[in-house]
Amino acid sequence: MTDPGSDEHRDGISRRRLLAVAGAAAGGLVVGGLAGGAVGVASASGDDGSSTGTVAFHGEHQAGIATAAQDRLLFASYDVVTPRRADLEKMLREWTAAAERLTAGQPVGDPATSAALPPTDTGEAEGLHPARLTLTVGFGPTLFELEGTDRFGLAAQRPDALVDLPAFPGDALEADRSGGDLCIQACGDDPQVLFHAVRNLTRIGRGVVRLRWSQEGFGRTSSTTASQATPRNLLGFKDGTDNLRAGTAELDDSVWATADDGSAWMAGGSYMVTRRIRNLIEVWDRTSLAEQERVIGRVRATGAPLGSSSERDPIDLAAKDAAGLPLIDPDAHVAVANQDALGIHILRRGYNFTDGLDPRVGQLDAGLFFIAYQRDPRAQFIPMQQRLAASDLLNEYIKHVGSAVFAVPPGLQPGQWWGQGLMES
Amino acid sequence: MSTIEQNAPRGRARRTRSLTLVGAALVVVGGLAAAGCTEKEVASDDGSVQVIEVALTDAGCEPSSLSATAGPTTFKVSNDDAGGVTEFEVLTADGGRVLGESENIGPGLDGSFSLTLKAGSYQTYCPGGSKEKGTLEVADGGSGLTGDPAAQAQAVSTYLAYVQQQADEGVSRTTQFADAVKAGDLAKAQSLFAWAREPYETIEPIAESFGDLDPRIDAREGDVPAADWTGFHRIEEALWVQQSTAGLAPLADQLVADMTTLARSIPSVQLEPSQIANGAVALLDEVSASKITGEEDRYSHTDLADFAANVAGAKAAFQAVEPLLAADEADLVSTIQQRFADLDTALAPYRVAGGPADGYVLYTDLTPAQTAALAGSVDALAEPLSRVAALVLQ
Repeated sequence: MTDPGSDEHRDGISRRRLLAVAGAAAGGLVVGGLAGGAVGVASASGDDGSSTGTVAFHGEHQAGIATAAQDRLLFASYDVVTPRRADLEKMLREWTAAAERLTAGQPVGDPATSAALPPTDTGEAEGLHPARLTLTVGFGPTLFELEGTDRFGLAAQRPDALVDLPAFPGDALEADRSGGDLCIQACGDDPQVLFHAVRNLTRIGRGVVRLRWSQEGFGRTSSTTASQATPRNLLGFKDGTDNLRAGTAELDDSVWATADDGSAWMAGGSYMVTRRIRNLIEVWDRTSLAEQERVIGRVRATGAPLGSSSERDPIDLAAKDAAGLPLIDPDAHVAVANQDALGIHILRRGYNFTDGLDPRVGQLDAGLFFIAYQRDPRAQFIPMQQRLAASDLLNEYIKHVGSAVFAVPPGLQPGQWWGQGLMES
Repeated sequence: MSTIEQNAPRGRARRTRSLTLVGAALVVVGGLAAAGCTEKEVASDDGSVQVIEVALTDAGCEPSSLSATAGPTTFKVSNDDAGGVTEFEVLTADGGRVLGESENIGPGLDGSFSLTLKAGSYQTYCPGGSKEKGTLEVADGGSGLTGDPAAQAQAVSTYLAYVQQQADEGVSRTTQFADAVKAGDLAKAQSLFAWAREPYETIEPIAESFGDLDPRIDAREGDVPAADWTGFHRIEEALWVQQSTAGLAPLADQLVADMTTLARSIPSVQLEPSQIANGAVALLDEVSASKITGEEDRYSHTDLADFAANVAGAKAAFQAVEPLLAADEADLVSTIQQRFADLDTALAPYRVAGGPADGYVLYTDLTPAQTAALAGSVDALAEPLSRVAALVLQ
């Protein structure tokens, strides 16, 4: 997928042309890189939930951030196991080539190889829709510096904003669900397409990277565009009502780093924080509706702030009931997390998750895999989480068990590769 | 190569891929497709690969008499409506060894597998048909193999010399181990166990191709009916769990006898370079499947000694065929060499003087993170190595 409009590109699309055209007819969807222009974000991605099309891989920003949130997530965090920078560069080039094909709905590699060789593509996505697959790469702090060692000569390129997150009160982080040198966020509407993408990238990376942890997610818990309905989290409440929306100046300002922020190679990129937040499901389920609504600060049925009638009504922390008591508890989740009150905005793009049963306690291991994009975690996620950790009523019902932060480089133009800006700066 | 059924007897749990032999005039296909061939071209009648179509019917294989010319051959098996016949096999003329098969071809399904045929007679088998057995006659013709025959012969003889040396060493070490067992010297027998196994583990895929020998020598508890359980692991169980050598003498003698049979059988082994390369991968798959989980030496926990021996055997196999790889595969060769070195580095911390597992620490001393790191190094090597078999004949 080099030059949109080239024969090679058209051939790439053709395998699924019928499906893609059908999707476009049904949903006004723009297919893949045929869209032209360098937008590459939500406008090319089937905002209305059409689940068969492609999302442009190339663009000013990486897809999978301001892209309309797809229904499924497979997140993979990797450790780099090679000591050789050349191996890492080679793999990042191979990953990019594979990602270009995967997000276009094509198998990785050259299909015309010998029957006596193991197949280049593992095959399980044959015949499936591209499913709006996006693959988003990020670089963790330990890629730049691990235990004081400048492993790949990259320490000088570490952005100031890529800080190690501080310990927050109540954190119960598990090392094998946290951190990572590199990450791939795979989002799409078909879990098998996501598995296929991550499996093949992991295979390509063997000997260079090793999977450190992964997380499957379902039921997007945020809407990232104005037209998406607000979904519910596993607590049963609407989540992500108060989120940044694609195409607004507010998102541009709050999410994308600029060259003036300190790292030229990160201009047009963003910083991702992930938190695996386990819900204490059994405890929550035996909590009265009134208490659940007091903890969240919203009406469960409608999503409206307590005392209001509709979901998008502003949160009025000063509103009082007839007895003169605040309608919304000052420590309710919506009060403490209120982005307008804080003057801080992040782009949330999380997913519900379950990994089945926690065999240690026989309880459901489920909750929210929180993903937030921002321009600078020091000014955004960290102060926000400090405030939440200190007083959010919801803390009684949740536990942060995994945490990671990544620098997400800007989008690519055809011919460029993931990490090129970093490696060549 | 999952369509290539090996020769392990039916009804016994088959633990790993072994090399398809040999005395059998058929080999697993190596350079089936010339560079750049698409799957369709492989199946086309372009002279480089012959395609033989077989239908499964209630009567059995259709046609029941097949003929072919020596060389790379793809069998395409289809089943329109035969409910009771779902499998096609090609066997040696005496029916003793399955050389290739396609299974689970129910009505409406099809399948295929590839072999490089050599001239001679073979049996076909469609179990469940009213006439189950048929024939395949292969006439002499162009070999279908390309490459430099002298270099290929050199690669095979280099590798077979290694195999013979390891087999002979295995007899010598097993004899000393058996002597300790028979002398009732529990401590000495325990200390020699991993050391005695090591040569066998370097050539395991060859040994596995001799039908009954591998289960007799190396079956783990539960692989075979309890009454038939013999070999290294049966003795291991007694030495570590029972802490006793009582009653082991016949087992020790049989182990030496079986190892001796193995060593004497090596001169009759015929191999193709692609099989040697596949054997290297099979050794690493052994590591991935059972050593890295600690299942292999479950009483003595000396798995790391087996691990190191499997890797050494894979390296010897790769080195034998490496000269056959074309110059334009230099990247692949250097990647594989680097990954062998990386794996050696990953194993080094567990190699300690006097270590209880023939110079290695016990498997149970590893943390889960250390095990995961070793598994990652094995997979990192096996991935590029899996490409070698198809390239050595081109």
